Amino acid sequence: MPPVVNEETCIGCGECYDACQSDVFYGSENEEISIVSYPDECWHCNACVSVCPTESVKLRIPLPMMVLYQERTVRSRERSSRA
Amino acid sequence: MTRITMKERIVETDVLCIGGGIAGLMAATRAAEKGARVTVAEKADTRFSGSGATGNDHFLCYLPEIHGTDVEPIVNEFQLGQQGSLRNRSFIRTWLLRSEEIINLWDNWGIPMKFNGRYVFGGHAFPGNPMYHIHYAGKDQKRILTRKAVEKGVEIINRVACYELLTEEKRVTGAIGVNTRKDELVIFKANAVILSTGSAIRLYPASSTPAWMFNTRLSPTCVGDGRAMAYRAGAELVNMEIPVFRCGPAYFARAGKATWAGVLRDTAGKPVGPFVTEPSNKYGDPVVDAYQDIFLDYKKSGRGPVYMDCQGLSDEDYQQMLYWLENEGNVGLLDHLQEESIDPRDKPVEFRSYHYELFPRGGIYYDEDGATSLTGLFAAGDELFGGISGAAVFGWLAGEKAAHHARNSGSTLGAIDRICIDTLKQNIEAMRNRSVGPGWKEANICLQQIMYDHTGEIRSETLLNAGLAALKRLKKKSREGLIATNPHELNRCLEVLNLLDVGELILVAAEERKETRGKHIRSDYPFTNPQMSKLLMIFREDGQHKTEWRSIDHQ
Repeated sequence: MPPVVNEETCIGCGECYDACQSDVFYGSENEEISIVSYPDECWHCNACVSVCPTESVKLRIPLPMMVLYQERTVRSRERSSRA
Repeated sequence: MTRITMKERIVETDVLCIGGGIAGLMAATRAAEKGARVTVAEKADTRFSGSGATGNDHFLCYLPEIHGTDVEPIVNEFQLGQQGSLRNRSFIRTWLLRSEEIINLWDNWGIPMKFNGRYVFGGHAFPGNPMYHIHYAGKDQKRILTRKAVEKGVEIINRVACYELLTEEKRVTGAIGVNTRKDELVIFKANAVILSTGSAIRLYPASSTPAWMFNTRLSPTCVGDGRAMAYRAGAELVNMEIPVFRCGPAYFARAGKATWAGVLRDTAGKPVGPFVTEPSNKYGDPVVDAYQDIFLDYKKSGRGPVYMDCQGLSDEDYQQMLYWLENEGNVGLLDHLQEESIDPRDKPVEFRSYHYELFPRGGIYYDEDGATSLTGLFAAGDELFGGISGAAVFGWLAGEKAAHHARNSGSTLGAIDRICIDTLKQNIEAMRNRSVGPGWKEANICLQQIMYDHTGEIRSETLLNAGLAALKRLKKKSREGLIATNPHELNRCLEVLNLLDVGELILVAAEERKETRGKHIRSDYPFTNPQMSKLLMIFREDGQHKTEWRSIDHQ
């Protein structure tokens, strides 16, 4: 669930902890790897990703929010048959 | 286990802005410019808080150099587009006439309001009608507005949310804040208070994903705190019963729809609306501005779903669309599309209405100066529907008037209302020290169920009465039983208690409006009654809800 912190590269600067409006990183400690305490309170605003100086934070979009689409092959076939 | 107690600290200021979103920061900056000592109390961090957190890309405006010297055609267009009209012509005219000044300010401060050196209009418009929304590059707006406020000497206190106004007779004298990260109350004493806490989200199930509460179009941390506080303090609220819902991609609610440049088509590729047949950044597809039920109607008639199809958009226009989406704060969505290899020119994206979430268009009644019905209390932004431009313009005006009030009211910072503070403190400490009981999420989900089923897309006297009884039971259980294991959860509990008050006002007002208007659909009064083309005020008097009808031209 979003966000996900790369523990290998996180430098514990706290920028994501400061930026998050929902405080999903609640309880993170100064100079330690950020923890994601309340992942399902994420609004997916991307503030945490944008402020991370080491690109260690990524959003993982939860399955219920998966964007749905129509396959182009179906569309193209129908379009061409209409034409 | 050691009993948790709340520490207290006192902050004194001339003007207190509650909420540091666009309206709050604009108000704070202007009040400070006018010489006031200003404090912003913000529940998150003003650089990334509120619905404008990581960007917006449309700004409603009147620009004489483009529109000509007569503002009236734009006032007309604005009024035509309003559902459940709340604002009279004078208010709208002021909004439009002051918008150019704000655009120039923002541009000077570093928020690009032009694209390649010129104003670009797009979205929220019908071909042939006047356009009055410019695209702007707002992704850094909150950082820039925060910097500007600090430059002007504004004190920003982050991670403190306010839940109660302090009053002395009918005058507002401050507010009680609660730290979101430690057990601390912050008592604010002020000569003027500006409420700018945004919209009332999380009252209803999330936009398109009821099981995913924070997947909302506007910020899920904007939960009607201002409306609840203002009501309890005795201020008038207006048209709380008229709801709004929006449309956008299934199921990424944060994205909205106005920046998408494609045409809405059915499964066979036929446009579903009459306005556009080719994709463009200028219009997108305005059919949903006029016909929000199109998605549900297509579904019911066996023709759904409906897709946003960007096929035919040139590379240049597509890149521009992505640029605006990025500036709208939708990088999370863009990354998701890229990861899933969804190019909406090749793969039309399913769109839908976000009809679960009927957040109130109505709110705190404030006039063109941001003044409310209480002395010393001002409001701005989405405390009453207004969007980004409304927040910026009326935040600015409210800041000016609040500074004036603070300077000239002649009042000095008075004694604080200890009873009010101690009552809240006792309730908070009870929540923090209980070991068994429901958490905030249980109460929030229960509220959403009650709201959607009883004052949702269909309403009637019997439903509303049943809903009110259920809500009162929930309120009692919540007040007596909620538990919070840390300051974060405590603040969520306090948010839910405010949402319960806001929900109750909606149920009461929805019963009083015995007609159908906009998305306030009464199955027992299925028509729009011209006699009710009025403002429905709701306020507290002697501990009871009072409602009163007023002309829309009431000032």
